[in-house]
Amino acid sequence: MSANQTTSTAVGNLLEVRDLKKYFPIHKGILSRHVGDVKAVDGLNFDLARQETLSLVGESGCGKTTAGRTLLRLYDPTAGSAIYRPEPDSDGIDLFQLSQGEMRPYRRDLQIIFQDPYGSLNPRITVGNTIGEALTVHGVVTGSEMNDRVEQLLERVGMRAEVSNRYPHEFSGGQRQRIGIARALALNPKLIVCDEAVSALDVSIQAQVINLLKDLQDEFGLSYIFIAHDLSVVRYLSDRVAVMYLGRIVEIGTTAEIFSNAQHPYTQALLSAIPIPDPRRRASHIPLTGDVPSPINPPKGCHFAARCLVAEARCRDEYPAMRGPEGGHQAACHLI
Amino acid sequence: MASEYLHEPKHLNLKKDSDQPLLELKSLQTHFFSDEGTARAVDGVSYKILPGETLGVVGESGSGKSVTALSIMQLVPQPPGKIVGGEILFKGQSLLGMSEDEMRKIRGNEIAMIFQEPMTALNPVFTVGDQIVETVRVHRGLDKEEARAHAISMLEKVGIPSPETRVDEYPHQLSGGMRQRVMIAIAMSCDPSLLIADEPTTALDVTIQAQILDLIRGLQEEEGMSVLLITHDLAVIAEVAHHVAVMYAGKVVEYATVFELFDSPAHPYSLGLFRSLPDLAGPNEPLATIPGMVPPATRFPSGCRFHPRCSIATDLCKTDEPILGFLNGTDGRTVACHHIDEAAKL
Repeated sequence: MSANQTTSTAVGNLLEVRDLKKYFPIHKGILSRHVGDVKAVDGLNFDLARQETLSLVGESGCGKTTAGRTLLRLYDPTAGSAIYRPEPDSDGIDLFQLSQGEMRPYRRDLQIIFQDPYGSLNPRITVGNTIGEALTVHGVVTGSEMNDRVEQLLERVGMRAEVSNRYPHEFSGGQRQRIGIARALALNPKLIVCDEAVSALDVSIQAQVINLLKDLQDEFGLSYIFIAHDLSVVRYLSDRVAVMYLGRIVEIGTTAEIFSNAQHPYTQALLSAIPIPDPRRRASHIPLTGDVPSPINPPKGCHFAARCLVAEARCRDEYPAMRGPEGGHQAACHLI
Repeated sequence: MASEYLHEPKHLNLKKDSDQPLLELKSLQTHFFSDEGTARAVDGVSYKILPGETLGVVGESGSGKSVTALSIMQLVPQPPGKIVGGEILFKGQSLLGMSEDEMRKIRGNEIAMIFQEPMTALNPVFTVGDQIVETVRVHRGLDKEEARAHAISMLEKVGIPSPETRVDEYPHQLSGGMRQRVMIAIAMSCDPSLLIADEPTTALDVTIQAQILDLIRGLQEEEGMSVLLITHDLAVIAEVAHHVAVMYAGKVVEYATVFELFDSPAHPYSLGLFRSLPDLAGPNEPLATIPGMVPPATRFPSGCRFHPRCSIATDLCKTDEPILGFLNGTDGRTVACHHIDEAAKL
């Protein structure tokens, strides 16, 4: 285990992610030669404090979902480290150095909620067993104790205890998402990755689930990594926001810093595209022309340069380093 | 009043109620019959679309907004669905009385439709050019070369770069935003007077959504066509609509100009939708929610269908269904609520 312990000086953070990379290899031909990689996530750095909500935002294909799944070891990371500290004073453990077996005790702490509550619940298993399965697998409770715990969880997410004998198809989308949340909560996790968890819900139901997520965070001291494309939800829920473009974070800061004082031209364009629910303030969009470059052969300079309205020669030659105070508002742009 | 619109439709005159609407629905009812009972998906929907305007129809899943649009096109799968009552008047003509042949001439030619998921609406084994060419040859009788030239000019019009090469590409070679542009090009290729757009940007990234909404708005201003835009997103409505119909449980509960609705939503359901928006809540302030959920179309409640979720419902609301009545002091604004005065104090 000693190899997994670190001497990092920063204490208190739940998670410290450094240089996280996830490449998906491309194989071609009858010999399945390795001809290249899709660099879905290409060097992420961020910290996550206890009880903090950090949102990963960006367009489809920016790597935000891959990043969340790799953190939980649902994908094997290509490189990097994720130092996890269960308690503020505990030694950091690099999740990426653990074998799947060694990872197992930590899985209780690290849960995920998916976008599609239809696809993520087994249609042949009752709601009670879906939630209870995690409890038995991890040997937390048994028998009648399990039923009590399941009923308690269902009530906590706003469902009646009797529903535990019913099947997923009997519920609406919002109810299924509540079941997904109850399942994630079952093992008293410390971190929940919410992967587009409210995106498929209608606005009145979405508001109910958002309130629930916030209440649970206060009650159980949860940290969230919130992956979403709906920026008005992100603004409401997040403490900090990381904007991703082509596998990398281009800007990170508090919610106020990002939404009121965006530095990176991509963040500015992204924010300008959000429709405003006020017919007298129709948004003036910063046009984004051209396509996102290929993640197989990203350009050597700034990935955004080809679409950037203010790009200069050096933007095309040299990838910009993150600028700004360590742990504060940072952006990767030569021109700030 | 009309000058408030940043994107003023050419033919829209909000003052004149005598304007003949391009499309008018009168108490339209579309039901679905199955073993589990009758789903009254659309159950007495009335709204109108004026020439050159965008009507936004907003509602949650199960409100009947998409089935209404399919009913206009007469594309409701039958069985199990059936239009069981009401009228659809297009340019003063009843669409429901038409034969399938007559309807085919309306569809695509006069009324075109685009959907949420362009990949499933496009045929994967034909090039995008073939799909536009087919449309204009069927409806316009152009010969092959004219049709191809038309296809290229349509692709150019919807902002597809290098249309001469793109015309020979297949749908899978295009990004989601480009596919939706192709769908719009097909829809616009016969110069329709009404474009029905059913959640056209829901599957797209916010940056692409902005481009597609700009495109629809621009085309509308150029061509003077009307647009029926169906969405669950009030912010999208604010961006493009002139009038708005709010739907709940198979009915229109409120119809107003976009300014009237956003300034002071009158129906308790409309108000609930606005208050659920995270945009309007302060930080650390819980979002207002509408308790409960949309009832299934097989089991709509009696009386006002919103009453089980409404904070000001009375016994009257449980038994008597409110009709869509004109709101005093407005020009054509209608609301279906027994307690409009109490709702105004919410």
